Amino acid sequence: MKHKYSVFITVLFCVFIFGFGIVLLASPSRDFSEQENRFLAQFKAPTLDTLRSGEFMEDFEDYVTDQFPLRDGWIQLKALAERALGKQENNKVYFGTDGQTLFAQYTIPTQEDLAQRVGFVNKLADNVDVPVYFALIPDKSWAWATLLPANAPNVDDGSAIENAQAMCGDNVTYIDLRTILTEESSAFYRTDHHWTTMGAQLAFQRLMSEMGLARPMETEDLLGLSYQGLPYTQVSDSFYGTTWSSSGAGWIKPDSICTVIPEGGTQGHVTVTGYPEGTPVESSLYHPEKLEVKDKYAYFLGGNQPLCVIQNPDAEGGKLLVVRDSYCDSLAPFLAEAFQEVHLFDLRYNNMSLKQYVADNEIDQVLVLYSGSNFNTDRNLFKLGQ
Amino acid sequence: MIFSSPYFLFLYFPLVLLLYYISPLKWRNLVLLVVNLIFYGWGEPVYVLIMFLSIAIDYSHGRMVTRCKDRGNDKGARMAVASSVVFNLLLLGFFKYWNFIAGSLAAVGAGFLPVIERLPMPGGDSIPFTLPIGISFYTFQTMSYTIDVYRGDAKCQKNIITFGTFVTLFPQLIAGPIIKYKDLDEQLEHRDHSFEKFASGVQRFTIGACKKVLLANALGPLWDVYLATPGEQLTTLGAWLGIAAFSLQLYFDFSGYSDMAIGLGRMLGFEFLENFNYPYISKSASEFWRRWHISLGSWFREYLYFPLGGSRVGKGRMVFNLLVVWAATGIWHGASWNFLLWGLYWFVWIGMEKLFLGKWLDKVPGWLTHVYGIIVAVVGWAIFAVEDFSAMGPYLAAMFGFGAGMLDADFLYYLRNYLPILVIAIVAATPLAAGIWRRLPERVRQIAFPVLMMAGLVLTTAYLVDGTYNPFLYFRF
Repeated sequence: MKHKYSVFITVLFCVFIFGFGIVLLASPSRDFSEQENRFLAQFKAPTLDTLRSGEFMEDFEDYVTDQFPLRDGWIQLKALAERALGKQENNKVYFGTDGQTLFAQYTIPTQEDLAQRVGFVNKLADNVDVPVYFALIPDKSWAWATLLPANAPNVDDGSAIENAQAMCGDNVTYIDLRTILTEESSAFYRTDHHWTTMGAQLAFQRLMSEMGLARPMETEDLLGLSYQGLPYTQVSDSFYGTTWSSSGAGWIKPDSICTVIPEGGTQGHVTVTGYPEGTPVESSLYHPEKLEVKDKYAYFLGGNQPLCVIQNPDAEGGKLLVVRDSYCDSLAPFLAEAFQEVHLFDLRYNNMSLKQYVADNEIDQVLVLYSGSNFNTDRNLFKLGQ
Repeated sequence: MIFSSPYFLFLYFPLVLLLYYISPLKWRNLVLLVVNLIFYGWGEPVYVLIMFLSIAIDYSHGRMVTRCKDRGNDKGARMAVASSVVFNLLLLGFFKYWNFIAGSLAAVGAGFLPVIERLPMPGGDSIPFTLPIGISFYTFQTMSYTIDVYRGDAKCQKNIITFGTFVTLFPQLIAGPIIKYKDLDEQLEHRDHSFEKFASGVQRFTIGACKKVLLANALGPLWDVYLATPGEQLTTLGAWLGIAAFSLQLYFDFSGYSDMAIGLGRMLGFEFLENFNYPYISKSASEFWRRWHISLGSWFREYLYFPLGGSRVGKGRMVFNLLVVWAATGIWHGASWNFLLWGLYWFVWIGMEKLFLGKWLDKVPGWLTHVYGIIVAVVGWAIFAVEDFSAMGPYLAAMFGFGAGMLDADFLYYLRNYLPILVIAIVAATPLAAGIWRRLPERVRQIAFPVLMMAGLVLTTAYLVDGTYNPFLYFRF
């Protein structure tokens, strides 16, 4: 190499490594990543203790990666490179063959593990004197299997749900939701793991007919296009879900969020009491302020909380307790139409005894409703039997 | 600290360059010693003490050997060499093999050695008993130093700072190449710094970073899938796909790291010896080991095989010598029985080649010897990579047709997804690309190089910042 050329290469390399290093140190730190929907690591000054234990070094490595200049751009560049190399997945997310749908990978539990999990539901049914219903929401990869890359391995093939159903005890009534969340329906968000309001409505109709509270439906309702003649309205057209966040797939269009039941319910008397911090606060079915942030799904009921109680004096059904995950947030407005009281109980944040709760609140029936993927992996299910 | 990380590339290394090049020449070894210790202490600060101990003991043993030799006291010199070798082997033996030996003894009912989980520290604290990073590499380097001083192959280093710089030199500290003191002593005293050398270091470092981050890290998840597949579900083609991915991952991981080490060394004025030379084009087991991890093979040859008599002895003795060397090579790679088995596996092939197979291989067509060479290496990796014996059997069985059929849907998915990167990796494991590059006109190369270099650095950065998969395989050796 000639001298001048070597100088050029040396300078090019040094500008690259010094440049990003200096920008990293000089630019202000971001607190939160909208794209990844999480708080980013911050610089923590070392102390003698954190230096000796190595804690400082670990924190510092996270800080550098999280605060790296143009972080979102680098992540998207990596996803693009993976796609250009012919990969059908990135960061455990499958790219759908339509180019616009993302699937989070799904874990099929072993038979023993699943039996233990269903065992907790059976235990709950043995503990209480009221009817216990159990339903698992099939994964998007089951409902929309035709959009999956060919032979994709980590997907919901329906077997876990079928096995769970077979493992249910005599005191548990299983409600199969697999037939209603189908290929044609817009039951799921393309960029998020949750079901859409349409998906929730379809499930609601099935749950009610199985629980003996069937109500007259119009044809449009049955397709999940309206609710008792009420049309759907779009509240957001810029929802990027959690699956999109992990995928880095910047080329995907955002989802829209729709609702059908108005705030306060169709009769206007629905009240919501939330327990976001464990104490009761007045809440609502919808939280429009959440449409301004990244995690727009929190529009429904305001996001995760240990307990939420919804009351509707106009409804005919009694008191329903739902042991649930976040899919239930968008189902809640429908349930409120049918029951005078709906108690939404989230085991992840709530350690109260279910047996006691059912007795104390004179619950009439219990529904255990989980998405298959959460049911297969959640570590709090043992609390069902407490 | 590892090279393939944003904090190394964009903070630590620029800082090292800055401090190094603003310092006057005579201070540069001291600057290097300080930054080396920061580099080493980053992962486990307390283990820097082992480094100090290692430097002090080997430095003083070097001085002792020289003093004894100067006084014509050969016995004393030999004692000093032996003491240094014993110290280094004890250090390595304690940290690397204690729990393995204790556990193995307990497994046969002789559990008189306690398994250590935490090391007590002064002041009542304790730290987890983990393998100090790079200990397999630097104990070998310092051992060769005293031996070479005794043999007269190396001069004794009287300056403890210079010696400390050699022991801790960060580019090759944690994963080699294993550098002998005699190859480096002149460079430690005096080395040239030039833009030409720096630019060639940049080139080498970028190639290494791309090999590690873009190829090895990309192939790793494929191997992880097949390693995690239960034996009864493994198909024949799946097992081969998995082990092919591992073979390429390990090569690009380790040789990429060596390239980065050589590149970083050049940027600081050092010239290290090569560690890899396209091992997967070998035509025999013996040739593979002349091309794979060259510095380790040559270390064992020089300090173990030759002293035992090498090949210039009777056939029986030669076989014994090979057995010792390959058992040692195997167990050096990790404190686990499968590594010993893997070493013995190479002993069998290399022993057979020395006795009769080599003559046969000379007579068969070239392509067939390539097939032989690659299959021996790849099957060996299955023993190397599947540490659990209860999984290794089924894995090898599946490779040889006793699995759950030929292929399944998973295999088709993974083949479809990994085929492009596999093809790129296979081509990159041969001298083809380098050959084409050399044949390009000078003018084209001059324009293409900075473009490719920046593309490589930018993509590497993207994968590092995304950072979902960045293990380093040779870290534990």
